[in-house]
Amino acid sequence: MKKHISIEKILLTCLVGVGAAVFLLPLLWMLSSSFKTSMQVFASPFRWLEENVRWKNYLEVWTSPDVPFWRSIVNSLIVSIVSLAGQLVISSMAAFAFAKIPFKGRNVLFMMMLVTMMIPVQALIIPRYMVFYQLKVYDTLWSMILPNLFSVTSIFLLRQFYMGLPDELVEAALIDGAGYFRIWLKVMMPLTKNGLISTAILAFISSWNEYLSALVFLPSSENYTIALTIRWYIYDTAQQYNLAMCAAASAIIPIVIIYVTAQKYFEDGIAVSAVKG
Amino acid sequence: MKRKTKNNIAGYCFLAPALLIFLFMVALPVVISLGLAFTKWNFFSGLEGIKFVGFDNFIKLFTRDRSFKGALLNTFVYAIATVPVTVFAALILAHVLNGKVYGQRFFRLAFFIPYISNMVALGAIFKFLFRSDGPVNAILANWFHVEKVPGWLSDSGLTRIPIICVMVYAGIGFCLIVYIAALKNVPTDLYEASAIDGASPVKQFFKITVPMISPTTFYLLVVRLISAFQIFAAINIISDGGKNSGSVSLVVMIYDEAFKQYNFGYASAIAWVLVVFILVITLINFKAQKHWVYY
Repeated sequence: MKKHISIEKILLTCLVGVGAAVFLLPLLWMLSSSFKTSMQVFASPFRWLEENVRWKNYLEVWTSPDVPFWRSIVNSLIVSIVSLAGQLVISSMAAFAFAKIPFKGRNVLFMMMLVTMMIPVQALIIPRYMVFYQLKVYDTLWSMILPNLFSVTSIFLLRQFYMGLPDELVEAALIDGAGYFRIWLKVMMPLTKNGLISTAILAFISSWNEYLSALVFLPSSENYTIALTIRWYIYDTAQQYNLAMCAAASAIIPIVIIYVTAQKYFEDGIAVSAVKG
Repeated sequence: MKRKTKNNIAGYCFLAPALLIFLFMVALPVVISLGLAFTKWNFFSGLEGIKFVGFDNFIKLFTRDRSFKGALLNTFVYAIATVPVTVFAALILAHVLNGKVYGQRFFRLAFFIPYISNMVALGAIFKFLFRSDGPVNAILANWFHVEKVPGWLSDSGLTRIPIICVMVYAGIGFCLIVYIAALKNVPTDLYEASAIDGASPVKQFFKITVPMISPTTFYLLVVRLISAFQIFAAINIISDGGKNSGSVSLVVMIYDEAFKQYNFGYASAIAWVLVVFILVITLINFKAQKHWVYY
């Protein structure tokens, strides 16, 4: 039964294959357009590949004098990496406290943080704007980083990982005379490595793709993140569709590469966050 | 020092950084925003310009503001048009990918890429695909011989279609990965036992798979609904119509009032309508789950 190639399986594969093709086509269209001239993008009849592939579109987008893509990449990287590092340390400490230290008010605080998950960022962005304006953080990358340092999702996710470790581990270390800080750093952190990587990847993606806060907090083009640069091309009066697609491709390709190399961590992270606590 | 005191000190030390950011970036903004909802205030009129108006903002929203009605309706439309389709399609796909096809890893990749892609990039792609001279209309005209192809982006009501498409497109991957993980936890002996009893695969799917993973379906519905209510990038990129366009949602209206007109008081009031909206829908979800979710 198991040995022979099942016809049913081949048929289903073809069927799903059609679905997958539909999903990949917009991305392939983006790639194809990014190698054309602006005129060719909507030319009819449609051709996937033109005779002269314009690699220099990418050069133009990456080094454009108005909004060079390399600078948006650097900005996005700064925002994502600093947010990520800060968020991981802060969330990991909080998650450890919530999971392993029996202190007064623990459940109340945890519930309070969970409840705020329901409050959409749109309700918070106006006061944040006021605060940032006062603190002169407005129009600097810090206005993207500061809110990212706290993430209920990360705390919740890491707490799940800590909950999976036996309490005896902490108790034994306490009896041996280790303080909580050393237990967290030396015992717990290494044991939750997978959780940290999954959380890190998810946090990275979400700050890499962030749009609304960038749109509100970063008006100057030298602070543009990749999302804002793509937007700039869409609303650019020159209507350079090919360059807009270049920018879009330049934003998507790095993420796809990260995903392909770390597929397991991605999927674990998402799966664990979905398991009810 | 007593163990209890020591625990309390350690607990709050570990929590301190998170709590500090939480207070300044979440708790304080919640309080300010709630306060602003009851004022009339343009940001550039300075602090002296704040005027307390009680429930006026809310009264104006529900009685006089014409774009609000459309925004409220569209917020529903986006959620209803995208979430059930996304979750159902993901369930079918996950079921099929779970050992019934070749090349599972590749398929997971294909469906997941849109979820991790930048929404602005996807919005740009879909905006171009749906242009009047774009590929979608070319396909409609050449393959399906549609004579009068629609102007997806110029007709403000129709703009919702590309927005809905990109939302489904970007959302399926997430649900798929969650479902695949959930399906791995369904005990296989259930299927074996029912196969011996002569249950067909279709019957197995509806009588075993669907009930066994109903908690996952519930989770996905809650999470996807909440995020559908907050969708902004897709609408802003594809339509950019602002609050008077046919694609306006509550979030677009908040952005428009707050950061184009700087009516911070009025915008905060809309934001709190959105908060209540999300809370109510989520509560309804939790109430309804008793009837169809099996733990």
